[in-house]
Amino acid sequence: MEQKIENKNENKNSPIARRKFLRVLGTAVAGGSILAISGGLISRAKGSEVSHYWQIDPQKCTQCGRCETECVLQVSAVKCIHANKVCGYCDLCGGYYRSNVKELNTAAENLMCPTGAIQRKFVEDPYFEYSIDESLCNGCGKCVKGCSSFGNGSLYLQIKRDLCKDCNECAIATACPSNAITRVSLDKPYKLKDE
Amino acid sequence: MKNKIVLMCLFLLQLGQGVAQNRFPKPDFESGYKYPEIHYAVSHEDLLVIVDIFLLVLLMGIVSWAVIKKRTRKPIIWVSVISVAYFGFFRHGCVCSIGSIQNIALALVDSTYVLPLSVLLFFILPVLFAFLFGRVFCAGVCPFGALQELVHIKSYKLPRTLSIILGMIPWIYLIFALLYAITRTSFIICHFDPFVGFFRLGGDIGMILFGAVLLILALFVGRPFCRFMCPYGALLSLFSSVSIWKIRLTDKSCINCELCHNACPVDAIRPPYTNKVNESRERGVKRLLNYFVLLPLMILCGAFLMRLVSNELSRSNKDVRLYEMVMQHETNPGEVLSVELEAFYGQGGVINELAEKAEKVQSDYNFYATIAGILIGLVIGITLIELSVKRTRKLYEIDHAACVGCARCFSYCPQYKIGNESGNTSL
Amino acid sequence: MNKLILRNIAIISALFIVTFSTMLITNYFQVRGTTPLQTEVVETLKQLNDENNGNPALQEQIRQLDLLARKAYFVRIDHLMVGVYILLGMLAVFLVSARLYFVRDKNIPLKAIDQMDEWIIKSKARKYVGWIASGIAAIALIFVVLSSPYLTTTEAAPKTEEGATAAILPETENEPEQINPTDSSAIETAEADSSKLPADSVSKQIPVSKITHNAFRGNNSNGITSAKGVPVKWDLGGGTHIAWKHDIPRSGFNSPVINGNKVFISGADEKARELYCYDLTTGEQLWTLAAVNIPGSPFKMPETTEDTGLAASTVATNGKQVCAIFASGDLICADMEGKKLWAKNLGMPDNHYGYASSLLSFGNLLIVQYDNQNSPKVIALDMATGAERWSKSRKEKVTWSSPIIAYVNNKPQLVLMGNPAITAYNPNNGEQLWRVECLSGEVGSSACSSNGVVYGASEYATLVAINATDGTVLWEANDYLPEVSSPVATKDFVYLATSYGTVASYDSKTGKLGKVHDFSGSQFYSSPIIAEGKIFLFSNDGKMHVFSADAEFKLLQSFETGENTFATPAFTDNKIVVRTEKSIYCVTAN
Repeated sequence: MEQKIENKNENKNSPIARRKFLRVLGTAVAGGSILAISGGLISRAKGSEVSHYWQIDPQKCTQCGRCETECVLQVSAVKCIHANKVCGYCDLCGGYYRSNVKELNTAAENLMCPTGAIQRKFVEDPYFEYSIDESLCNGCGKCVKGCSSFGNGSLYLQIKRDLCKDCNECAIATACPSNAITRVSLDKPYKLKDE
Repeated sequence: MKNKIVLMCLFLLQLGQGVAQNRFPKPDFESGYKYPEIHYAVSHEDLLVIVDIFLLVLLMGIVSWAVIKKRTRKPIIWVSVISVAYFGFFRHGCVCSIGSIQNIALALVDSTYVLPLSVLLFFILPVLFAFLFGRVFCAGVCPFGALQELVHIKSYKLPRTLSIILGMIPWIYLIFALLYAITRTSFIICHFDPFVGFFRLGGDIGMILFGAVLLILALFVGRPFCRFMCPYGALLSLFSSVSIWKIRLTDKSCINCELCHNACPVDAIRPPYTNKVNESRERGVKRLLNYFVLLPLMILCGAFLMRLVSNELSRSNKDVRLYEMVMQHETNPGEVLSVELEAFYGQGGVINELAEKAEKVQSDYNFYATIAGILIGLVIGITLIELSVKRTRKLYEIDHAACVGCARCFSYCPQYKIGNESGNTSL
Repeated sequence: MNKLILRNIAIISALFIVTFSTMLITNYFQVRGTTPLQTEVVETLKQLNDENNGNPALQEQIRQLDLLARKAYFVRIDHLMVGVYILLGMLAVFLVSARLYFVRDKNIPLKAIDQMDEWIIKSKARKYVGWIASGIAAIALIFVVLSSPYLTTTEAAPKTEEGATAAILPETENEPEQINPTDSSAIETAEADSSKLPADSVSKQIPVSKITHNAFRGNNSNGITSAKGVPVKWDLGGGTHIAWKHDIPRSGFNSPVINGNKVFISGADEKARELYCYDLTTGEQLWTLAAVNIPGSPFKMPETTEDTGLAASTVATNGKQVCAIFASGDLICADMEGKKLWAKNLGMPDNHYGYASSLLSFGNLLIVQYDNQNSPKVIALDMATGAERWSKSRKEKVTWSSPIIAYVNNKPQLVLMGNPAITAYNPNNGEQLWRVECLSGEVGSSACSSNGVVYGASEYATLVAINATDGTVLWEANDYLPEVSSPVATKDFVYLATSYGTVASYDSKTGKLGKVHDFSGSQFYSSPIIAEGKIFLFSNDGKMHVFSADAEFKLLQSFETGENTFATPAFTDNKIVVRTEKSIYCVTAN
């Protein structure tokens, strides 16, 4: 702003010498302000990491379903992640089956996931392993809701680092009702449940 | 070790009051089942950031050399292509210099805000180059400018009056972007980014359509976004107008042929002017003085008005909005809880704390909106003062604040051809 | 020649781009508009399938449709992406050809494009800038005037929208019940179903509801709860819908309070005064804390009447601490695990029936209405430490009423009934906001509020509606008045129950008496609570009455529970906790 005023002043009177002086003054002020800003901030920036990653805090997440719709990407960068070490390997999985399922088979009418991204594999009686096909998952969080309501909460939503565009301001974070999305430091790129 | 951590995690989960997790015990597998090893992919962001900054400096260096030293346009086109391809389509335009204004502003007022070094560099390097060589960043390094540059096929001039008036928008936009960033409301520059959806091949349909309209405009009008919207361009123009090395129209003597003026897509070349107006000098001076008197009044008026609307503006803040929703709910508790309220009550939110937070935001708004009002008044006042000054020019001159260094004018200059054989170098 | 080709390429590609992008945009909206794979048809079919158990043909149809929907969705997305790439390619073709076409134009000198005098341009621009600036200022002013609080008559618009979105949510969900998915009732029904399945051993643990009932008559002591899936019928004798039932060690007329998975209640007799905590799910008594070793505590308990007792005051919690007060003036506070944090005696209250005002939690503040003969006052204490935050002496006679928090214009007001006035304070600092003298006699019931209006009523006095913004009386009525029970209000109606068996409704705008139910022979000491648009009210003989909280004010249910009930029940999602004369029990929806 200051420089602008000076520029205006310089236009006001025509003497060349005066104009030159003001120009030098403006240059000095501009150079000074660059130095001041960079000097003031570089000491702060130096200590911090190069970049920060957006991550969901699974403990805060309420599975409102906005991750699916608010992401700037066509298909959200938020995917369901499965923490096998927390999972109970149940036959009746609250994340896999709809809430009042009658038969425990893989028929379409029984399944929770709208895209069919959860896969189920028999391990041994009575345990089943569940895994997520990331290419199909759209981050709607329906299974997460089911799992955290009936099960161990081993399914949870997380932002995939390789898909996330790392927007300056995460569009989901601004829409998140529980403020669950924050930046984490570079050396811990994922907020996981099983680590 | 890992088991211990898992156990710890489970323990913590159990502790987490209100979250009934871990209902089922960990299964004891008899078939020798092993937990699958899952590796979560991480992009090589740190490496890319270094490439970003290296490329930023390199491209700005090339443009500076082309514009100041070599006086040719060809490299700038290639820089534009590289910028659109790399910063645009490959890096999807985030974090960009334009948006970095907000991070810097927030970091300046809030000492707890973590400012990545790359963001600081993306902000300060183009400013530094603008201070040294003019707006070389805008010329073709900025993917937005480069995109519009590449799209521009034929130049039609907008009426000068219109471009003067539209030219005030970036300043006002900048002021509001700062206000919203400082109060931690939202980064509006990032939210209303017309081209990022284009680079990402998807996104908010409204912004993509807006970007498409801008691009269609850019076919025939030079850089509509840079001139009439870009807040960072406004900031750079401050520095470029006092830059150390300046772009010259011609090395030789100007013959006042007008070709450069007609060629300039951003209307940055001022024709010679001799005062033909039949007006006494006193009247002109008096008018100017009037505007100088009016300036403080405008500042006061702006401050007053912005202060009045500050409470309304603060409603775009998340905390204030949540507070209002909670208050609505407390007044009429029977209603169904919305997603936000459910999250608030579910996390055991304390209304008093929320009220404190919301009031803090509101008082911040009161303060910063007043300052924003002062600045808006200042912008309007200074524009008026600038418009009431008569300046005599003998030759065509570059307005360095508006010049984006596209280097079109060089090849149009008849004097240029004397020294350079290549007539049709530029597209 | 070359030029002509270039021009034609440019024109053709431009036409292609325009048509193609319109197609893409329509395609985009089609993809965006449908929730990916949950088409309505499939959803309704799934519901049908749920209702009539296992119809193979129907299931086959669902599977086919589901497959189709999936295919369509992914094909569409693929098409969209391919389309975008084609569009980009054509854009590049257009740009290159157009640039090449125009490249030769550049050396033609264009004379006199802008021959206008610069000064004229500037003068014009100056004028326009002035106009625009004043225009913006005017718009800002109009905006300010329109949004000023004096003009906002109904701010309900954004809220109904909120409500609407919240109401829409469950429909998009695939639960067959009408329940919001976050609601634990959905979870419970599902668990009930699953427990029938032999396949798995589902534990009976249920996620803890987020709905709290932190004080007498709920949060803010306002008689309204947002609990969902509340049971409307139960039978104590037969045990249907009863989760658990326990005898309470010591008696009291105070009401239960719920926070998270914990239920709090107090009891007292000549020997001891105690605070109890129960597990909401199992009913297990988790801990007991006795009010002992309190400096200043009277050696001998005060005289109280039969129907007041030593523990008439309901406890209050804020989710971190829980506090209880007894007729001896002993005030104890514990954390949620039963660890005693602090205790003090507020001075023996001089009260001829016995001290009966309930505690109220407001964030970290504990509000104590201490209207007794010698020094009537209201005190706010820090719940964590017991430190006094503020205290105001009151010009009232002894009362048995309890404090409430009313939200008025987004600001909390602490409203206290007394004899002779209803008074509002700022709960944060005790500053008096307004005071209306309108009561007399023995004031036992508490106020309630809705939409910025405070309603207070007392037997032998009046029912008064006060505009809580400025403390002006809107209307008064005295057809039916409560003695012990407190009124409850919605936006449109005020409901109250008398101690001679009448339940009446009043229009909240005019005070006109609406529909009246007469239960002669019954008495109402317990207060009505509104949950899910229904009024729940116990009569002293233990009969539960459920009314609709609307203009019709219908009696929906009326049934014997089997035990005399004087306390007001506590509500959370799917559950009601009731204290009867001797015991405490929990009703669940399933």
